[in-house]
Amino acid sequence: MSMLYAALALVLTLVPRAWGTDIGIDTARGESFVLPPDLLEILNAPGDDGAPIIGAEERGYFNALPDHAKRQTAEAVSRELITTPQHLGEILSLGLASEKLERLMQDNCVLCHSNPDVHEGATLFSTDPTGVGSPAHMNLAEVVEDLHSRHGLSCAGCHGGDPAGFMDHDFPEEWPEDADIRKKDRSWIPQFCGRCHSNAAFMRRFNPALPTDQLAKYGASQHGRFLLDKKDSRAAQCVSCHGVHGIQGPNSPRSKVYPKNIPETCGACHASAEIMAGLTLADGSPMPTDQLDKYRDSVHGRALLERGDIGAAVCNDCHGNHAAMPPGVTSVGQICRTCHAGNGTLFDGSKHKEVFDRNGWPECGMCHGNHAISKTDDTMVGIGENSLCTGCHAQYAKHNPNCNETAAYFHDSIVELNHALETFEVRAERLAEKGLDVDLIADELNRLADLVKQARSYVHSFDSSDFRQVEDPGREVVRKMERLAEDAEDEYRARRTGLLVSVFLIGSVALFLYLKLRRMERPS
Amino acid sequence: MNTAGSCRGRQGWLDRRYDITPLIEFLRHKEVPLGAHSMVWYYLGGTTLFFFSVQIATGILLLMYYQPGEATAHESIRYITTKVPFGWLIRSVHCWSAHLMILSLLVHMFSTMMLKAYRPPRELTWISGFVLFALTLGFGFSGYLLPWNELAFFATVVGTDSVKSLPLIGHWLLEVLRGGQDVTINTLYRFFALHVVILPMSCFGLIGLHLLFVQRQGMAAPVGADHAPRGMKFFPNFAIRDLLLWLICLLALLVLAVFVPYGPTIPGMEWELGQKANPLAPAYPGIKPEWYFLWIYQLLKEFPPHLVGLEGPQVCILLVSVLMAVWALTPWLDREAQRNQDSPVFTDFGVALIFFFTFLMLKAWDIGALGGGQDPASLRAIAWTCGWWMLAIAVVVTAVRVLFLGDRWLVLSAAAVLHVVLHGIVGLSYLSAGAIAAGLAALPLAARLKSGVQPVVGGGAR
Repeated sequence: MSMLYAALALVLTLVPRAWGTDIGIDTARGESFVLPPDLLEILNAPGDDGAPIIGAEERGYFNALPDHAKRQTAEAVSRELITTPQHLGEILSLGLASEKLERLMQDNCVLCHSNPDVHEGATLFSTDPTGVGSPAHMNLAEVVEDLHSRHGLSCAGCHGGDPAGFMDHDFPEEWPEDADIRKKDRSWIPQFCGRCHSNAAFMRRFNPALPTDQLAKYGASQHGRFLLDKKDSRAAQCVSCHGVHGIQGPNSPRSKVYPKNIPETCGACHASAEIMAGLTLADGSPMPTDQLDKYRDSVHGRALLERGDIGAAVCNDCHGNHAAMPPGVTSVGQICRTCHAGNGTLFDGSKHKEVFDRNGWPECGMCHGNHAISKTDDTMVGIGENSLCTGCHAQYAKHNPNCNETAAYFHDSIVELNHALETFEVRAERLAEKGLDVDLIADELNRLADLVKQARSYVHSFDSSDFRQVEDPGREVVRKMERLAEDAEDEYRARRTGLLVSVFLIGSVALFLYLKLRRMERPS
Repeated sequence: MNTAGSCRGRQGWLDRRYDITPLIEFLRHKEVPLGAHSMVWYYLGGTTLFFFSVQIATGILLLMYYQPGEATAHESIRYITTKVPFGWLIRSVHCWSAHLMILSLLVHMFSTMMLKAYRPPRELTWISGFVLFALTLGFGFSGYLLPWNELAFFATVVGTDSVKSLPLIGHWLLEVLRGGQDVTINTLYRFFALHVVILPMSCFGLIGLHLLFVQRQGMAAPVGADHAPRGMKFFPNFAIRDLLLWLICLLALLVLAVFVPYGPTIPGMEWELGQKANPLAPAYPGIKPEWYFLWIYQLLKEFPPHLVGLEGPQVCILLVSVLMAVWALTPWLDREAQRNQDSPVFTDFGVALIFFFTFLMLKAWDIGALGGGQDPASLRAIAWTCGWWMLAIAVVVTAVRVLFLGDRWLVLSAAAVLHVVLHGIVGLSYLSAGAIAAGLAALPLAARLKSGVQPVVGGGAR
């Protein structure tokens, strides 16, 4: 039987293998389209070592393409836009989906500008731009994936000219023809992108949900003021954040404005001492460049960058994007409330609110800071060494003994409830290991975990009677868990007693049998 | 017993109708042979039967509350263990008894192998026992899924997936087992039917046959003796001993169920209910089957995706099929035992198999892993640590065999140890080490078999 398996398996495995190993170029392969000789010549052109220049993987990819993609490739070759095996090999090495390859094969601009026989340096697209001396934005792999290109906006949309016509470059009037002017003063860029993006009627044709107020917002932003009013081309404009040839939608993880990439995108300028040189804050102090480092270590940064939580606050959540501005003292607390609404509401009802407003202190930022917001822990409240309260209170409320008392009460209650939570988790685990029913204890543990979380939030009321609204139920839950755990421990004792009785009964029967056997077999 | 008195009473009434006197006479004169080896091996069939009876009793009790179904399977087991009076005890005893039944069955089977009790005229007893062993593994595999928890779900996905390596029928069999392409609630329904109807019915019939064979032929006498030098009366002396052992087993079950309700919590021996299965959740790494399937799980891991033009798992399944076939056909292959002579080749084959299984099992437990990882360095460390452990075990076992049991033919077990050394300690791959060890063992094995194959004179032992 086993031999039969072996023979069958051998046949089943070897036969399909004999078919699938050919990676040569199929000229017809039973389909209607026959590859023309000029394309075949490029595909099969041998290198110095006699092997085809276009590698096996690329040839395998080409073989698997549908007929119409092959036909488009043949046409690009016949129009002499592709002339060398190196050029075709580089395009095939991209491994594009067939519809993207077809779009590329009809794009005269990119085909010509990626042909190293025709272009070089600044105007050559390549999969390795730095390797061939092109600027980084001339990346062939990126341009073929560009969002604009997918929606039909080809090179000519920005650079002018007629991609299907003659090779004349007819730049749009907003495009400064002189490259030096174009690069030194970038204030033309927002207007240039705004030609389409500020035109609601036009944008509706492609993405009706996309806002068209970016240009107006940009004008009101700090970046816009610097670029448009002061002509300071260090200021970020559209291209700085969205890129040039490889633009992706903001939901694409490849986009420079995808949440996980935003810290690096903003940090490209704001963490650079060279770019920020000479810029100052409103109070006249030099513009800091440590925000990115601080953010990476903050609770928000860790959530975003380490845990991949794209809901975590990132630069633009507090500063805005097109209308980017540093949030003022009056609005910073409101911005935190977009996520931390409960704490904000409790703070609004507290006696701190009025004092903070009177002194012009930033609400949340006063205790928690800004870019370097660290994960909270229970030592931050109370009168201990790490307390956030004592610093200000020693200065502004040293005559009020209630403050320290309340802070210590918050701290002690939270620590006690949390300790009960941890202790009962271990106790419940031990009971469960003994096979006891801990479902009810587990329910109460969940409730207590919620209440501890709420207690930490209720600190922001700065009022003991408010705080008791969660502390009292928490203590009740602890008492209930104590009763349940004792019941379970009683049950376990009952099981052991039952076992003891059973052992005694069964043991007695066994002993009786043993004695009977001995009596029976005693040599008489 | 007063036969004359009984004949006038109930027995007489029954005898007139069913002629039971010959049966009673048979039982009265039935003897268990006592001889060269310890009697302890004679009890293992009985303990297996005891654990099976416990399974039937506790299984029926569980069946009163268990409800197979997407929304009920897991919930009903939770209900049994938390709310039903003594439900926790019944489930725990059922689980412990299942594992102990398989353990006792394995020892029973290996002791039968070592004592050559399969030799003629007991070939059919061996075969029926072998089929019962396969059915028991089926019990284990099908019962494992019934609580419909995460661990069981993914272990069933992995376990059923391995049958697709069978040539030709693999994919068909996979769908039959799963009731579709994937493990779904349909799989649970058919495993349930298998576990509580098909397998028990098959087992009842086969156990009856197996017991009938044993009763008709009696227990095998030691090799070389036509008749056992001494005997012990089956009834009541042996039967009381059996009963005594069963009571001890029952006590052990109760103690284990109360103090270790979820098993020893090592991979393959734990049955905490855990989270309900979620077919949409991704499988987590380190899913392992029950301990008695660990060896095949590990063996599948040792095979590369492709080997000598075949798929690796196919070669693995072929190898396992060959081993199983040799095991099942042992009564016909072992010509020396047929002549009622010692057959050291098959004794050593049994020991080599134990080494082979144990080494794979140690490896499957990831003993010696670096940080629980499965990277090459960690796998190497596992092979190294398990290699040394296995070597230590093998040295002790071999010393006992040579010094106390007088075994001299050790080619196959030596090959198994060489395999362990070459793979675990020297660092060759599992398969190349196995190939070298098998190659070296083949020659002396062939020579021995050739000299051992002589015409059977006199038609066998008895």
